[in-house]
Amino acid sequence: MRALDRFWLAILVLVPVLALLVLPPFGQRMVILVGIYALMGAGYQLVFGQLGALNLAQGALFGVGAYSVALLAPSLGAAALLAAPLVAALLAMVVAGPMLRLQSHYFALATLALASLVNLVAVHAEGLTGGANGLAGFTASLPRGPVLLIAVWLCLIAAIVLQARLLAGRLGVQARLLREAPLMAATLGIDGGRWRLAAFAIGAALAGLAGAFSATLSGVVSPEATGFSIMVLCLTSVVLGGARHPLGAVLGAAIAVCLPELLRDLQGAWLLAYAGATLLMVLWAPEGLAALIDRWRGVAAAPQVTAPSLEILPPARGPRQLVLDGVTKKFGGVAALQGVSFTLNRGEIVGLVGANGSGKTTLLNVVTGLERADGGTIALDGTRIERLPPHAVARAGVGRSFQTLALAGDQRTTDIARAVATGAVFLLLDEPAAGATDRERAELARLVDRLRLAGRGVLIVDHDIDLLSRVCDRLICLDRGAVIAEGTPAQVRADPRVRASFLGLEQDAA
Amino acid sequence: MAYALVALGFVLALNAAGAVNFAHGDHVVLGGAAAVVAGLWTGLPGLLLLPLVALVLAAVGILAARIAILPLATRPPEATFVATIALAAMIEQGLTVTMGSAPHTAPPLLGAGAFEIAGIALGRQPVAIVVVGTVLVGALWFLLERTQVGRRMRAVASDRHMARAVGIPVARYVVLSLALAGTLAGIAGLLLGHQFLVAPTQGAGHMLKAYIAVAIGGWGSVLGALLGALGIGFFETFVSATVGDAWASAALYVAVLAILILRPQGLFGEPAGRRA
Repeated sequence: MRALDRFWLAILVLVPVLALLVLPPFGQRMVILVGIYALMGAGYQLVFGQLGALNLAQGALFGVGAYSVALLAPSLGAAALLAAPLVAALLAMVVAGPMLRLQSHYFALATLALASLVNLVAVHAEGLTGGANGLAGFTASLPRGPVLLIAVWLCLIAAIVLQARLLAGRLGVQARLLREAPLMAATLGIDGGRWRLAAFAIGAALAGLAGAFSATLSGVVSPEATGFSIMVLCLTSVVLGGARHPLGAVLGAAIAVCLPELLRDLQGAWLLAYAGATLLMVLWAPEGLAALIDRWRGVAAAPQVTAPSLEILPPARGPRQLVLDGVTKKFGGVAALQGVSFTLNRGEIVGLVGANGSGKTTLLNVVTGLERADGGTIALDGTRIERLPPHAVARAGVGRSFQTLALAGDQRTTDIARAVATGAVFLLLDEPAAGATDRERAELARLVDRLRLAGRGVLIVDHDIDLLSRVCDRLICLDRGAVIAEGTPAQVRADPRVRASFLGLEQDAA
Repeated sequence: MAYALVALGFVLALNAAGAVNFAHGDHVVLGGAAAVVAGLWTGLPGLLLLPLVALVLAAVGILAARIAILPLATRPPEATFVATIALAAMIEQGLTVTMGSAPHTAPPLLGAGAFEIAGIALGRQPVAIVVVGTVLVGALWFLLERTQVGRRMRAVASDRHMARAVGIPVARYVVLSLALAGTLAGIAGLLLGHQFLVAPTQGAGHMLKAYIAVAIGGWGSVLGALLGALGIGFFETFVSATVGDAWASAALYVAVLAILILRPQGLFGEPAGRRA
């Protein structure tokens, strides 16, 4: 997400100020409503926009906030407005914790089931919620009119400015990685689970706050507040306004509130028009209205980040040895790794060779925590890491690059640079030279030399045994998941079993 | 059985589009609405209206594929989610504007009344639903498993890139799948519309049940969707007999949440592996 520029900040502040000075009470009410929907939308942007998770419970959490304030205001007074977002966030964290690991379609379903459950409780738990009649008569101690307007818009401005500021930096990059390349995010040390939980909880708190304000404004709460139509309104307004633009939620909410007034003669038709506009937006301008306006204003898209230089590498600190002992991994009945043991020291370059399907990439996946080993131990200086999640392995000092067959030179270097930039002591490079030109191979060899000088330990997986022989101190040869030879490049290349399993191909070709 | 038709249409659309079609439930409602309107105009029984409703909804399915699914094929599945949610809202609002929000009754398949078999009275409508449903499920099975068209549809569903590589016109089969999904939804709408009436807001409920059926039956599995839908039907019938409709639904949602959390791969596993 881009930082908030002056243009948008001015709009954000001018709307409530002008509303207070100029508009009649009815107009102020509309501005309050815009603020309320925008708050809910701003929370939704975090989960849907930043993490790309289709959360269908935001509307229900809005309702939870509304009911909380209706139930708590008689005893807590205005403090109920603070309690409501806490209730919503708590509910989200308790229920959503285990749901956040689900893949997109299951996540959508789980949140939809949660929302339906909340709606059922609202309709049928009459003792608590007043059933279909809802609750009323709780607003005596709550703010109203201009005070409410100020409260709503202050919360909204705070939420948007904070979000934009936080996401403009490191956190925004992390969110983008989690959204677009979750595996890579994990191997770079980003804890996706914690991130998602935090986003979900904050999003829920904002929805709860919006619901609480909405109940305060209308003075009644009915099951409609938890209904799916609120959810659809939230989703469509965020998409229409721009799911990742700081002002997207505000713009979407403004249209959602003003459109029915403009099309008042057409009754229900405004929702039809609104949904239609959303569909067109998804098809032709997925970045949303706010981004479109930015383009008309001539504001450039988010700046490109230049790849970090790999010329100067700081010396690495941390563990001295990566030790694998008897690591096994089975996929169904196939033993992908059968008791693999070796040691990688700091300042050492080791090449891992083997035919296709010999278990090289599986080994990297097991070491970096993407796959869980079935047996054996993996340790950094005696600290066991074989049961840690990928982000924790990365933080402990093991970085990796991925197979990047389709990428051209610069992007390939970027992938390695990314792993190096985590500061990892041990780097696992998966086929860094596959499809590379001769010049790129020479570049790679120089980079590996610099990594050695900087005290990193490097494990390179590749088919190019000539390249590996030149840059590596030792070679390890895998065959059907087991180490069949280990030693200096010359020793390994001379080993008859290696020649049979791997180099045989090369001799045929030569 | 009608749930089964909804769920089967849902899974067809899901496999073809590679993403959830949130407008599917509204196709069902639209089918019911078409039956209501056609019934008012012609006064014919449901069985004769069935082909008409099927045709209309096939057209709706094609339209959905053309505007909300095919153009988004290269984007993440969330884009299709949002587009179909918008489409669903459009159908719902469109129906509210034209028909009003009050529920209507769709014509019965064969007229009201009951058969008496071996001393047990069976309502005509439930029997007719089971018969029509079984015939359609059988026909669908034959289409998918025994014909070249069905083989190609399954090929597109399992790997659209590979399907394109071997020369299958993928877009055409996606449209065909959606048309078929629409047809099944429309017929289900007609069948459900007599007993449970037709109201614009029912779409989300239909969609959710189909979604649940597909999720517990194993994502993308046609047989799993069928079993899942029948399971939901039985679950609701038995649980609502003891604790009432509302809490039966609540129990269903709780069960779904529990299943998703404890067995994220669905009850019968996910044969196709990761898919979104």
